[in-house]
Amino acid sequence: MTQFKRLSRRQLIRATGASAAFVAAPQILRQTAEAQEQTLFVNTWGGSWTAAEETAYFKPFTEKTGIKVRTVAPVSFAKLKAQVQSKVYEWDVSNAGVVEYSQAVVEGLLEPVDKSIVDPAKFPPGNVVDYGVAGVSLGTCLVYRKDKFPNGGPQSWADFWDVKKFPGNRSLYNRSFTNLAFALLADGVPADKLYPMDLDRAFKKLDQIKPHIKVWWTQGNQSQQLIQDGEVDMIAMWNARAQEMIDRGSPFQIVWNGAENYGGYWYVPKGAPRAKLAFQFLEFVSQPKPQADFVNILPYGPPHPKAFDFISKETASKMPTAPDNLRVSHVPDANWLAPRLPEIRERFSQWLAS
Amino acid sequence: MAGVVAAPAGQAGLAAAPARGLPADSTPWLLLAPATLALVILFLLPIGYVLLLSVTDPAVSIAHYRRIFSVPLYTRVLFNTFTTALTVTGVCLLLGYPVAYVMARRSDWVSTALLICVAVCFWTGFIVRTYAWLVILGNKGPVVAVYQAFGFGAPPRLLFTTFSSILGMVHILLPYMVLALYSVMKKIDPNLLRASASLGARPAASFRAVYLPLTLPGVVNGSILVFTICLGFFITPILLGTPKDMMISQLINQQIEELLAWGFASAVAVVLLVATSIVLAVYNRFAGLDRLWG
Repeated sequence: MTQFKRLSRRQLIRATGASAAFVAAPQILRQTAEAQEQTLFVNTWGGSWTAAEETAYFKPFTEKTGIKVRTVAPVSFAKLKAQVQSKVYEWDVSNAGVVEYSQAVVEGLLEPVDKSIVDPAKFPPGNVVDYGVAGVSLGTCLVYRKDKFPNGGPQSWADFWDVKKFPGNRSLYNRSFTNLAFALLADGVPADKLYPMDLDRAFKKLDQIKPHIKVWWTQGNQSQQLIQDGEVDMIAMWNARAQEMIDRGSPFQIVWNGAENYGGYWYVPKGAPRAKLAFQFLEFVSQPKPQADFVNILPYGPPHPKAFDFISKETASKMPTAPDNLRVSHVPDANWLAPRLPEIRERFSQWLAS
Repeated sequence: MAGVVAAPAGQAGLAAAPARGLPADSTPWLLLAPATLALVILFLLPIGYVLLLSVTDPAVSIAHYRRIFSVPLYTRVLFNTFTTALTVTGVCLLLGYPVAYVMARRSDWVSTALLICVAVCFWTGFIVRTYAWLVILGNKGPVVAVYQAFGFGAPPRLLFTTFSSILGMVHILLPYMVLALYSVMKKIDPNLLRASASLGARPAASFRAVYLPLTLPGVVNGSILVFTICLGFFITPILLGTPKDMMISQLINQQIEELLAWGFASAVAVVLLVATSIVLAVYNRFAGLDRLWG
């Protein structure tokens, strides 16, 4: 009995080791195979965003270069820091908004662009920067329900603030600097004078609208549900999210006047082992044609002006980088915001909670 | 499981082979080693690292802690987190106890039906359940429809209030409470209640003197489970509540994900951990955590 039990214990250990190796083997083999085939791991948002990237970027890129693309979702800014610190890389490419990009540059988390692969001279100014290439931009716009305002709805942030002339429930996006800029615009500050920001003035103006904001939304689908169900009559939301529902027949109006045009960058984490492949990918997504393919699926703004050669006039008018829309929009000043963001975020959270 | 099965075998093995050079009393330690090792590697080391980060990132100082206690936001949100968790635990206990009682005392289809309801609830994702409340309490939802059908006019604001936030969290955490209570109640011998009745106790006295004390381990177990899980919640209050219902984990998440301020986030996490430990220590003083295991 004793003998048998002791033997079985050893056997158990041996069996455990063997089965562990057995379980891990396909993983190890797959990794080796992928290394030979050259696979790039891209960090992406998932859902319809990734589906559009698949069509516009990943498939054509693989056809052109033979480099396979695998995706990891969702986008995590914190993962960037974790990867660079631990030197264990789950993905080689990701994208971030201009403010996050600036934060990452300050923290030294990004790999400088390999200019031998991505030549800045071949692209419009500003499309290739020190640590990344420009991605599509996103408009955060005033959107209202046409059925609630049959005689014309709010046309500016000053109108949004005017609760007497435009009564109704309102919602804003829970992002500090976005609301601070809207408040300053509502207070009469011209778009080109938003920065450096007069924070006290902005918070004072926000005080006026706070009792009328039913929800401060945090997630894209939340914003869609709020206006779709009529919980609110006007909202600050992402243009592509609003457009998606307008295309399905919702009675919404997008107001481009005063919109925030929030650009982003593709980047490579510092020390990423497949950086060479990653920069080949960055070079590919900087071309006008793939950008046009992407925004023809989802109406974000392509950074390359030539992309509009492949986009119909009607589709272009829905994009944040269309000239008419761009003229009435403003761009957050990432260089001013990035170092001040912790203080601004804290003050905004405190203001919200009190 | 494996440890329990191996225990007698290990002892027998050592007794039969004293020449193996291990002192006999080392066996419990050897058996505990894998669990201890896992606990140290997966739990204590990370917590130690968080503690270290909170005073070293980006520089060696206690500035993070000073900031937590000097900026009103953090203490206010911390306080709100604990009062919310306490409220949710109390409501879960009040609602869950009768349900678990019926489940445990009856052995017919009612018990099975209730168990299925609780289990389905338990296995449905909490995001889905939170969004369900957005629909139920929303402008086009059934609550408003019923309200208006009876001609009461405009319904009171239900959604985006502290009430809806608490309601959502209670809904998500109730199954934990019910299952914790049920597992204890199911083991109570019904003959004990019959015995107390035969000795002259009325049902209420019988419940108070016999049944309730026997279910206390379940009450303690369920309350701690619900309370500690609730402390870490933040999506439900964001989606259903007001900005005043902000929970501390939302601020920690912001610091980690948006600001990459891991040192400060660690300091907030440490303060949360210490505060939780104090609450549990006080609880232990009065209720006894050893009841957790029945």
